[in-house]
Amino acid sequence: MITFSNVSLIYPNSVQTVFEDLSFTIEEGEMVLVIGATGSGKSSLLRLINGLVPHHTGGILAGDITVDGLSTAVTKPGGLAHLIGIVGQNPAHGFVTDTVEEELVFGMEALNFAPEVMRKRVEEILDLLSLTHLRSRTISTLSGGEQQRVAIGSALVMHPKVLVLDEPTSALDPIAAEEVLSILHRLVHDLGLTVVVSEHRLERVIGFADRIIHISANGSAVIDLPEAILKDSPIAPPIVHLARALNLDSVGTSVREVRRMTTHLRDFSPLLSIDAPATHEVVVEVKKLSFAYGDKIALRNLSLNFNAGQITAVMGRNGAGKSTLFKSIVGFHSSTSGSVSVLGDDPMKLQGRARLSRIGYIPQEPSDLLIHSSVEKECSASDRDNGLAQGSTIDFLARLTPTISPSSHPRDLSEGQRLSLVLAIILCSAPDVLIMDEPTRGLDYQAKSILVDTLISYARNLGKCVLIATHDVELVAEAADRVVFIADGDVVADGPTIEVLLSSPAFAPQVAKVMSPAPWLTVSQALNGIAAAPEGEARQ
Amino acid sequence: MTKTFHPLTWWAGAIALSIAVAVTQSPFFNLLVVGGISYLVYSINKNSLDRTPWSGGLWFALKIALIIIAIRTFIGVAIGVPIPGTTLFELPILYLPDWMAGIRVGGAITQERLVFAVSEGLQIATLICIFAAATSLTSPHKLLRQMPVFIYEFGVALVIATSVLPQLIASASRIKTAQRMRGITRRGWSGVALALLEESLARSLDLATAMDSRGYGFSRKRSRYKREIFSRRDFTLISSALALIPASLVVFT
Repeated sequence: MITFSNVSLIYPNSVQTVFEDLSFTIEEGEMVLVIGATGSGKSSLLRLINGLVPHHTGGILAGDITVDGLSTAVTKPGGLAHLIGIVGQNPAHGFVTDTVEEELVFGMEALNFAPEVMRKRVEEILDLLSLTHLRSRTISTLSGGEQQRVAIGSALVMHPKVLVLDEPTSALDPIAAEEVLSILHRLVHDLGLTVVVSEHRLERVIGFADRIIHISANGSAVIDLPEAILKDSPIAPPIVHLARALNLDSVGTSVREVRRMTTHLRDFSPLLSIDAPATHEVVVEVKKLSFAYGDKIALRNLSLNFNAGQITAVMGRNGAGKSTLFKSIVGFHSSTSGSVSVLGDDPMKLQGRARLSRIGYIPQEPSDLLIHSSVEKECSASDRDNGLAQGSTIDFLARLTPTISPSSHPRDLSEGQRLSLVLAIILCSAPDVLIMDEPTRGLDYQAKSILVDTLISYARNLGKCVLIATHDVELVAEAADRVVFIADGDVVADGPTIEVLLSSPAFAPQVAKVMSPAPWLTVSQALNGIAAAPEGEARQ
Repeated sequence: MTKTFHPLTWWAGAIALSIAVAVTQSPFFNLLVVGGISYLVYSINKNSLDRTPWSGGLWFALKIALIIIAIRTFIGVAIGVPIPGTTLFELPILYLPDWMAGIRVGGAITQERLVFAVSEGLQIATLICIFAAATSLTSPHKLLRQMPVFIYEFGVALVIATSVLPQLIASASRIKTAQRMRGITRRGWSGVALALLEESLARSLDLATAMDSRGYGFSRKRSRYKREIFSRRDFTLISSALALIPASLVVFT
């Protein structure tokens, strides 16, 4: 269906090739996963398929790419619209019209389809993606998962043979992600659709992929079966790391497989020991907080305390009220009723330097905080704002991620580097509470582990309070001491990470699913647990 | 879902109503109209599940209307040709050179002059509110979709261009708050403007690629998914708005 023969790509004003002599074939009805570190060219590869690269971006393309017999060198993206559906990284940025139905027909109108055909196809897609009840809604009022479904739907109405998706689940909670992925799986199996998808969170998609394309940093790429690629790829989901650490004969890609391979390790009944949480000073006190956007209630009479020296993860589905809670704590808006205090102060009243040393807030788009034209200027502005010696912020940044060049523009950094820069700026003022909204969106495993280390040392060594709102179960398993689960503006679960994560099947991390009933969330916990197990019982 | 009107209906009604306002020139009628449309918009939009960025248009227009009345009153009272009548109070007169004879700044403020200025301001404000109400009830996007085919392409382009606006406003406030959280207050709008410019450029590129890969502009002809039908309800609404023109003339003059 898709053939790359000897493809090399170089972008204008660049000396390094993105790809070098790439050749592979993707068959009809295959689901192929593209993996690679941030900046390795995953998006470029996806956009090569329908010719957006180089037709839209410029650059020199050598070799030939054909899709269903059409060469992208000759045919422009518009000419492939009936053949290839493409869904971008952030679907909200790709919506052209304002209601669901209009969005679905946009492509068909452009290609001059007959009205009867359009009506039939719209009904089909609305049913297929269960969007019928949303048909006349304004897209901007839909949740992230619904928007993603609309985006997939508007690609599918064209009856394409190939569907290309760039990180389709990065903004979704685990349940919505599962929903989207199982729809894709069904399309591949029922309609013989060819799907090419890139994703950072391998744990979510690995079970669905038929083959994997792994792009290395030097621009070479291999395509092979998941087991073969994951055997020694540095980018791998937690279960693969677990399989490697346990020296299993082969790596499995699904929880079921690895569970079967590890039965002998789970023969004993481990003790469920949960350390009693040490009592620390309360930093953030939320009392009977309610908040409503117009008629829509976002928070209902919420009472919570957050302590120093602890990382607390706030979880919940899209629209559950996580961001609203954080905005109230930061002092973004005054609450409808109830109160928030940060070490006794009302966050609405904190200003200037007093605010910087009290609350550090990193929004969903960390780049909102960046206003200067280079990393260096950004750092020296931070030194001034915080009254620190010149160079403190940049030193901190260098310790965090040594590879950032001080003269580069903040927008040119990768997602992970940008987050490091913002973290350095915020943490330099040593705020008593650090608040992060969805920090791992678009981060690869390496950037994520830097983040986890930074957060853990900030909370444990400096005794600060850290709050993160996230959908990333693996991040929570690695970093958080406590999990607060919010649904419909109310707390439904609150307790030590182990307790909360293990009690919910949708939010349990992979290692926990494999090792259940043993209470281990991460690879290192599992290894320690197995090592500590009674001799002779755990091993064969 | 309740039955909706044809997108053109509210606009035709708005035109008829504005003619009535223009010919009647009665402050009481104007107040009645503003009150009436505010109630109408409120009761219709209250029940609709999702609000387009435009549905708040009337409330925004009402605020603007108050400002317009205030400015118009100030200018009408302080500058211009004096109208004789009951003097309320006197302002010092600013003497202007000879070639500007006939214009006076300051001087005696008469009751007649005040009433005249306020009712003129009200007249302008009412017209603005009428069209803002029409915008609140049918988004301009729906209206543009009703354009005849030969300007339809243009309409679609306009729709796309304007749908970025509300998003831009949202991003601007998001960036500004984020920066306030970092303790940046003194820099005002310059920091926001730069971030906003970068974001909007990135967004328009995203949009352009999305449109291109969905075949926009590839086919010479473009088909249309749905045609709205003009029903009897639409007809009734427009004709009653038209009937208001002579009726208001009889009652209010």
